[in-house]
Amino acid sequence: MASGKVLYPLYQLGNPQLRIFRPNFFMTLVRPGVPQPEDTVQFRISMQMTRVDVKNYLEKIYNVPVSVVRTRIQYGANNKRNHKNQRVKKPDYKVAYVQLGQGQTFQFPNLFPEKEETPEPGSIEDIQKQFMEKERQRQTADPRRGGVTDWFGL
Amino acid sequence: MAAALCRRFFSAVRVSGVLQAPPGACLSGLTLNLLHKNSTKVEPLYQCKFLHTTLSRKGLEEFFDDPKNWGETVVKSGDEWHAKHLRNKSNEDLHKLWYVLLKEKNMLLTLEQEAKRQSLPMPSPERLEKVEKSMGRINLVIKEREVALRLLQTGHENPRPGEWRNDFLGRTYWYNSKEWPIPWYLNKKYNRRKFFYLPHVKHFIRLRIEQHLKKQARMKSLEKKKQFLLQKKFPHLAAQSQN
Repeated sequence: MASGKVLYPLYQLGNPQLRIFRPNFFMTLVRPGVPQPEDTVQFRISMQMTRVDVKNYLEKIYNVPVSVVRTRIQYGANNKRNHKNQRVKKPDYKVAYVQLGQGQTFQFPNLFPEKEETPEPGSIEDIQKQFMEKERQRQTADPRRGGVTDWFGL
Repeated sequence: MAAALCRRFFSAVRVSGVLQAPPGACLSGLTLNLLHKNSTKVEPLYQCKFLHTTLSRKGLEEFFDDPKNWGETVVKSGDEWHAKHLRNKSNEDLHKLWYVLLKEKNMLLTLEQEAKRQSLPMPSPERLEKVEKSMGRINLVIKEREVALRLLQTGHENPRPGEWRNDFLGRTYWYNSKEWPIPWYLNKKYNRRKFFYLPHVKHFIRLRIEQHLKKQARMKSLEKKKQFLLQKKFPHLAAQSQN
């Protein structure tokens, strides 16, 4: 199968099942905007895919047990305007809500955890960090003044 | 990512010589499973043991990268597949490589969408282009092979039948045939189409040819003028002609 304009052979009752090698369909797993039940996974799929296609795709390629798939089409807004005052359309896309079978659950992970970077001694980042720390120490006021600024007094 | 890709692919390739049609990696079409709930699977009789070729069978985890790479700003990836390397691979290997690349692209698309959601830059976006180009090249190689086979068997290059036809304005174009459930003489809309032109159109064909020739002459003379100007401006950079 292929997303986009592709001519499929004509189907009439009794014809053999259409076989396609190298399907051109891609599925994007997205974090749900609205909290979903634990067994539901949200995908953005091509407009040409059906829920049967999604089920077969996941079962055959990813070996994921699927019980039910529901789909909807999200309309992309046409309100924004460019510098020529022409309307710019955001593309439409299809969303699939897949409920996993065999009692499996799925939670969208955090793909951008904050990592503590320890810079190598001698590298530019290390020198920069040390310099900034020295500057900060220099600019702190005398603790004996108790928080009073140095505009006052002698 | 490249190591995982290579590992996945080469493990698939290594076993391909042993099996005829491995069940796990048999992805030769997506059938309508829902309609045949009580169908019995007919296991073919092979002498050799079944070996599963996929490296990791972790389902939805394949939509995400190796957890070690989460949070990195740069993820190293290898070179893309070039046509000359793909031409050395068998059809089964190309088929399996397609699915490896498909899974990789799905993973990269999920990463891209999540990065947009979190307003963070996607680590190494060039991986997407590499995968897309490699998939395009696989299609190219397979099309080449199909065309060669078709030429030998039938003598036709394109899979879809067609012919050169004239339209009512005298233009000649390649008409691609379409599949219909009814013959052409029963097709009312098709019968209203005219694939010939009347004699008064011949004058306009001559005018069109003249237009085309004039345009070509214009482009040629423009090119000549540009070369002349460059020669005048930079005589020392003129290409040395071999005499």
